[in-house]
Amino acid sequence: MITLEDYSRYVDREIIEELHLLAKGLRGIKILHVNSTKKGGGVAEILSRLVPLTNSLGIETNWEVFSGSDEFFRFTKKLHNMLHMPNQGSIDSEDINIYLKTTYDNMQKINTENYDVVFIHDPQPLGLVVKKMKNQKWIWRCHIDTSTPDEKAWSFLELFVNSYDACIFHIPEFVYKNIRIPPYIIPPSIDPLHPKNSEIDEEFIAETVARYGVDTSRPIILQVSRFDRLKDPIGVYKAYRLVKKKYDCQLVLLGSYATDDPEGEEVYKEVLSLISEDKDAFALNLPPDSHKEVNAFQRIATVVIQKSIREGFGLVVSEAMWKGKPVIGGNTGGIRRQIVDGYTGFLVNTVEGTAYRARQLLSDENLRRKMGEYAKEWVRHRFLIIRHVRDYLMLIKSLL
Amino acid sequence: MRSKFTFKTELWVPVYTGIKVDSLQDFIEAMSTIPDGSLLYHFYINLLNYHNLPTLYMNSFSYWLHINGYESLAERISIIDPTEYYSLDDLRTTVIKILKECEAEKLKRRLQPFYFLDARREVLFTGLEADELQEFIEGVRNSSIYSIFYHMVVSKIDRKSPIDEYSEWLMNNGYLKKAEEIAKIDLYAMSLYEAKRKLLEVLSA
Repeated sequence: MITLEDYSRYVDREIIEELHLLAKGLRGIKILHVNSTKKGGGVAEILSRLVPLTNSLGIETNWEVFSGSDEFFRFTKKLHNMLHMPNQGSIDSEDINIYLKTTYDNMQKINTENYDVVFIHDPQPLGLVVKKMKNQKWIWRCHIDTSTPDEKAWSFLELFVNSYDACIFHIPEFVYKNIRIPPYIIPPSIDPLHPKNSEIDEEFIAETVARYGVDTSRPIILQVSRFDRLKDPIGVYKAYRLVKKKYDCQLVLLGSYATDDPEGEEVYKEVLSLISEDKDAFALNLPPDSHKEVNAFQRIATVVIQKSIREGFGLVVSEAMWKGKPVIGGNTGGIRRQIVDGYTGFLVNTVEGTAYRARQLLSDENLRRKMGEYAKEWVRHRFLIIRHVRDYLMLIKSLL
Repeated sequence: MRSKFTFKTELWVPVYTGIKVDSLQDFIEAMSTIPDGSLLYHFYINLLNYHNLPTLYMNSFSYWLHINGYESLAERISIIDPTEYYSLDDLRTTVIKILKECEAEKLKRRLQPFYFLDARREVLFTGLEADELQEFIEGVRNSSIYSIFYHMVVSKIDRKSPIDEYSEWLMNNGYLKKAEEIAKIDLYAMSLYEAKRKLLEVLSA
């Protein structure tokens, strides 16, 4: 089992010792995390590491999964979209019935009574708060951008949200103005020990990249993201074409789309059609658990792009930065928090801007190296899981 | 008699104050009302979080002014060295004075918003103590950058004292020259790692 000490290769020994000190003051309390999936997605990925790490600090921490029918998850997916932006649908009485019934069913299954602190992740298990007892602290961890929600969706959340003791958002921009409980700002994090980020040998990198037909002797421009219009893969291709006029480079668009995501498939096919005549452009649709492959491409890439038009947090930026790559990122959401423009990468607003920054990085190895060093240090101090554990403990301490 | 030095450390978690502004005028007004913790957070967070970047915009306020095109104002706010302050009231007054010198026509222009955060602080005892210089050096050597930050920066504000806690202990124990040299360490122009290295250099000399 991984313990905090395994991270001493990446963060200062004294910082790990301080985490133990902080935890010492919280010994004896019991923490529960509840989300709606054990596997797949960023929340499950973070919890799968955060829960054992908190336990290794001597604080008993458990993780329960809230279950529901396909109908329930169809509604919560709609709710998710409505929280993201207005006019994405409506909520009817049938939706509310399904939500309340599923909440009731889970109330029977999930024991929350034995805990001092309960973290509820995202809107699916939000209603469990009706079980909150007097001496408990309940915290809602929102992983969604709710800065401009559909009013109907927010009104629905409001039935439960203000019964919590605190909530957590990635960045202050995501906090909706009507919230009445303290909103803590805790960005997500990456795990340096995850196969996506851990050190891998050169041979594996070369083999992996070659397996997909990419030439390791020429520069590679990479974007890792779902095939989603908001990630602007078409814009990335256009930028690459502008760069290609001066540099003999290749483009790799690496991502995946779920089988139940018709838009993802549509975007992927569109990209394939766009690049069909270009032997140096690759659109790779990999299975979602291709962590080591993603790692290999990020490590060998010459320039990494994340040209999102809208982004939740975009942790893939930190993943590339952790590998010493300056990232050219869309000037939006959490990307702005990760990239310090001109120092750890570049923030861009247009296709032409993206192309120009890529040319600057391709032409200057020293610039890439220096910015890459800054980028890695920036992530080391702000976006590693150790900071995340510390923030959660600090939040608990401030509430108890 | 020699006094005991107790090594402490400082951790923060940010909470959003709910105060969001999108003009210079509203920003100036907010500067008068935001809690001390918010001023502390925005002025000191880059120092605490290891400012390894040679950017001119050393605090959140100046960075925000910079991205909104107020270059001169950004520079003036950026060069306020927060490590020279031991009163947040004085720091606040300095900032407001500079902002108020801004030309009136610029005040109402719509800007990218600024979100004021507040720092929830926790000061912890590290368990390290020193009765004499060698123990003190060992204590500093085993201190985290957050501990260095606490003793050299924030404890001045907490104690409302112009002298950092390391220098104070050294002075009280007869190491005047070392105290003077430590008080001169230019924290605002270096990372906390560099500051720790300098501290150990002075202490061991």
